Amino acid sequence: MGLTGNAAIVGAAQYKPEKYQSAPQMFHLQQVADLARLALRDAGMGIDELDGLVIHGPQFHEASIFVPAMAAEYLGIELNFAEVVDLGGCTSVGMIWRAAAAIEMGLCEAVLCVIPARMAPFGPDEDPAWMAQAMRYGGHSTAFGAPEAEFDLPYGHLGQNTGYAMIAQRYAAKYGYDPLSMAKIAVDQRFNAQGHPDAIFRGTELTAEQVLASKMVADPLHVLEIVMPVAGGAAVIVTSKEKAAKAKQRPAFITGFGERLSYKSPSYANEMTVTPLAQAAAKAFSMAGLTPGQMDAAQLYDCYTITVLLSLEDAGFCPKGEGMRFIREHNLTYKGDFPLNTHGGQLSFGQSASAGGMSQVIEAFDQISGRAGERQLGRADNIFVSGTGGVMSEQGALILQGG
Amino acid sequence: MSVKPMPVATAISAPFWQALNDGQLKIQQCQDCRNWVFYPRAHCTHCMSERLSWQAVSGEASLYTYTLTRVPTLPELADELPQALAVVELKEGVRINTTLTGIDEADIYVGMKLKPVFDRRDAKGNTLLRFTAKDNTTSELSYDNPLEALPRNAKGQIQVPVSNLPAMAALADNTFTPWSDAVLVDQPLIDAFAALSGDDYWIHTDADKAATDSPFGTTIAHGALVQVLQSKMQFALPFDIVGFKTMVNYGSNRLRFPAPVPVNSLIHARAKVKAVQPTPKGMQLTLEVNIHVVDQDRPSVINDLVILYR
Repeated sequence: MGLTGNAAIVGAAQYKPEKYQSAPQMFHLQQVADLARLALRDAGMGIDELDGLVIHGPQFHEASIFVPAMAAEYLGIELNFAEVVDLGGCTSVGMIWRAAAAIEMGLCEAVLCVIPARMAPFGPDEDPAWMAQAMRYGGHSTAFGAPEAEFDLPYGHLGQNTGYAMIAQRYAAKYGYDPLSMAKIAVDQRFNAQGHPDAIFRGTELTAEQVLASKMVADPLHVLEIVMPVAGGAAVIVTSKEKAAKAKQRPAFITGFGERLSYKSPSYANEMTVTPLAQAAAKAFSMAGLTPGQMDAAQLYDCYTITVLLSLEDAGFCPKGEGMRFIREHNLTYKGDFPLNTHGGQLSFGQSASAGGMSQVIEAFDQISGRAGERQLGRADNIFVSGTGGVMSEQGALILQGG
Repeated sequence: MSVKPMPVATAISAPFWQALNDGQLKIQQCQDCRNWVFYPRAHCTHCMSERLSWQAVSGEASLYTYTLTRVPTLPELADELPQALAVVELKEGVRINTTLTGIDEADIYVGMKLKPVFDRRDAKGNTLLRFTAKDNTTSELSYDNPLEALPRNAKGQIQVPVSNLPAMAALADNTFTPWSDAVLVDQPLIDAFAALSGDDYWIHTDADKAATDSPFGTTIAHGALVQVLQSKMQFALPFDIVGFKTMVNYGSNRLRFPAPVPVNSLIHARAKVKAVQPTPKGMQLTLEVNIHVVDQDRPSVINDLVILYR
């Protein structure tokens, strides 16, 4: 059961991450069309070949409902498959497998997966209050009846920093905690970012001492272990094996996926240190008929260093509780024996809201298609990609394979 | 410091918050599978039964995990730094998001034994649930009314400096002032307002036509007239805000005329502070003023007046 490897990524585009958006403001619809144009050009395909659309719904500027239909109309295409994904940082991974599944089921032949994440222009009478509120409460709902509004906000439980910090403290109590190993995740990824021309931290190297000397935000997380939000946006074209054979780039076939979610606040997880990625990754590997040991690289969602640690363990790259040792014993750079987040991860490439996770999908594709430039891996046939939304809440895994 | 967020109870969760106000911790237990449920719901998360009952529990608990925030999670919580955010596991197995109180940073560890602390947040007894080390003697944080220490003016009103945020916040109260003195709305007054405003519609000014054609059998005052008469009625606010440069009537969040004021009615008013909100423009106080015909339950004017102190 599952995918048979008959759908592949053949094109991608992403805006260069910017801390302060200098690119002219474009409507989200306009960004969708612009990203689609760039991704199709990358694939060597025409707009008339698209018949599927997977789009990020929340915070879409021009509409909160009927988003796919509005986007299809704007693009000027007709669709056999349309989907809105609302999985936070797991949205990108969730988009890719949904597109692959729709193609394998014969619903459609080519799907645009797109997340516009640059600021759109506000109208003269538009109230940006909802955005201020979203920023202030870090994605927590303040609506009447929302459990978090009632049981979390009055106690200051909000934002992602504290949730991840509490996971890290629990991990520390169970398995021990080595701040230097955690810093090494950020340092190795920063090294990788030096090989990506678009990385936000290209030209800025980092040492473990700098990480540990940086401001403590919520014990034990330092500010340099926390992702920096940027403006950006990304699109990926997923298509059938037949069309992929004619694509400009070497396709990255989607041969396994998994998805798992059950809570919003990690306080209500069965065990906070075991993330839903454990089930998602196991499903992805078994679907692909591969093991973690057969991966040439891992692109693990990295909103925090602790996210990477837990994902390494739960995806099966090392046993539970041994992540710190694994990090110490391996070179995680693109030059090393365990290439991890070879574009710098979101920690060093930049996290453009929900499009951030797509940078990891696109890096896997860039490696498989052999155009990762100076950071190109010697062998890049099998790559594992993970996605994380909320506070380890929504988890997804993909296995991408070169055809 | 400014107004801190407080929970708004729902019909489902009200027993939980009421119990805290009463100094008790109550959580839901499933009458079918005997499992415990938190936060409050209408169903059991173990077996989907709808037969949940509220049970008082001891609050015996251990620390599941925590973090010390060095950056406030909300600006309103900046005075609490570091916030000792905690996930607490009750003996019954459920987990609660909360904060620790009364424990030195160095003494906090995952697995430590805890007990509840009832944290009174306002004069009405609204209570948040915090936790402390099991052996601490504190089981309740009393509410120090920031208004109590303040001086009073000659009229007996508490003098609240506009810069005293806790005191300003404490003014928000769901209780109305006593009724003001009463003002008579007679025909000459209505006619004068009609002349001033240019609104001389017969329902206000033509007693003969009103007697036959008006559903009220008499002329009625203009809603706007009744509204402006507010300044003639002295309602006794228990406080006097001091220490501002300017006070401006910023506008109205809501203005309604739910009931008519027939000619020769006596009207009176009362008010309550609905909200106090620091804003970039200054301290904003929302005063809900209700004007009633004497002995009428239904207000003739409801005005949520926003006053800005700078």
